[in-house]
Amino acid sequence: MCLAIPAKLIRCEGDDGVVDLHGMQLPVNLQLTPGVRPGQWLLIHAGFSIETIDRADAVKTFALVKDLQDASCAGNGVQP
Amino acid sequence: MTRQAVLSPGITGDRRSAPPTGPYPADSVKKDLAELERIAAHIGRALSFMEVCGTHTMSAFRCGLAGVLPDNIRLISGPGCPVCVTSQADIDQIIAAAHMPDVILCTYGDMLRVPGSRGSLESARMAGADVRVVYSAMHAVTLAQSTTRQVIFAAVGFETTAPATAAAVMAARRLNLNNFSVLTSHKRIIPAMRALLSSAPVDAPCVDGFLAPGHVSVIIGTAAYLPIVRDFHKSCVIGGFEPPQIISALTQLAQLAGENKAELLNHYPEAVRPEGNLAAQQLLNTVFEPAAARWRGLGVIDQSGLILRMEYADFDARRRHQLCTPEDHEPRGCICGRVISGAAAPGECPLFGSACTPVNPIGPCMVSSEGTCSAWFKYLPNHVHPNRGWSNQEVCT
Ligand code: SF4
Repeated sequence: MCLAIPAKLIRCEGDDGVVDLHGMQLPVNLQLTPGVRPGQWLLIHAGFSIETIDRADAVKTFALVKDLQDASCAGNGVQP
Repeated sequence: MTRQAVLSPGITGDRRSAPPTGPYPADSVKKDLAELERIAAHIGRALSFMEVCGTHTMSAFRCGLAGVLPDNIRLISGPGCPVCVTSQADIDQIIAAAHMPDVILCTYGDMLRVPGSRGSLESARMAGADVRVVYSAMHAVTLAQSTTRQVIFAAVGFETTAPATAAAVMAARRLNLNNFSVLTSHKRIIPAMRALLSSAPVDAPCVDGFLAPGHVSVIIGTAAYLPIVRDFHKSCVIGGFEPPQIISALTQLAQLAGENKAELLNHYPEAVRPEGNLAAQQLLNTVFEPAAARWRGLGVIDQSGLILRMEYADFDARRRHQLCTPEDHEPRGCICGRVISGAAAPGECPLFGSACTPVNPIGPCMVSSEGTCSAWFKYLPNHVHPNRGWSNQEVCT
């Protein structure tokens, strides 16, 4: 539950956005990162974007995130 | 734009090395480890550093860090797993709320299998309670708009997670929802770190510095750690989650400890700013206020929780549904409380790996995806820690 996942913002309207996470489109609430634009990379936690990051930094953490999620899903079934 | 690493103002000492900016070739990891070994050998005494973040716990165990660290450097897991630090009384209260008639209880997936004194949310659901896993607190608000039943959103978590709850409460207020409330046990990490340093259990290890949590720091900022550095003379290095970033942070912590210096360093500048996320902080301050909170293993810590302000008391599920506070009992034989404070390792629990496994968890540290017992079970060969010969007395010099 401490983990924030990098994803790319593909569209937004007000506080509601949609991010692309490995080809999946997920709704995200943008009110904690006002002013973000489509194309920017965001750290997503519990359905909210909490910070903007560089694409390079985002890509760097994908392997870790995927591995931790796989382990967590194998152990617990469901993740927030 | 990559942000620059920040050296805390007013704290003496120089930055030894630039934060890693990856990707990380094997050579660079080897170099960092060799540097850590050199420093550790030069210091010649045992050093314990504590991480207070469930993701650091899992990342460190996943990459086998314990097996490659120098013998006299230990990384202990502290109270960083939000599910694990939630008191048994709070868990029992959430399960009791799920059993109430005409209630839909929404929560994050990590909470589903946490054992209460009698059953879990999962078993409550099997017994007929309407328990739903949500990905975002806003989904619980949306659900409340579509039903006349009472929707309770139960959430635990540190400053990273609490803003989402605050946003849900504000949305429910805007929408005039009178069937939405929150049952939260949100926690603040800095008061817990202070409590560990000032009134830790007698058998807790001495902590020579902190690997500070990356994503909590995104919200609270680097400056929040200054009191730990100034008042307790303990270094805090905010670290990323990849193994080379953790090794780099530990190298820095070891060097500072060897020189008897305390500094605040940001090794995760790509996401963490000195001031943190101001929008999130403002939202938190609008909806919540700090209050004493009970932690598993650490007792009641002043100012370490977040409760709804009076203006938002209508959305407090405890008040609306007149929930009583159950007594606080640890599961019989479970030493999660000592594991959380760093006083004991999972391997010291007589139930570990026998009565208590991820399939049949007894305590939250085994069921949570970020719990230390879970990490030991999943990642350590034969569930044995390479440094198991260490005792806390040896660490406290
Ligand atoms: S092994 Fe199980 S019972 Fe023992 S401390 Fe960990 S979670 Fe509790």
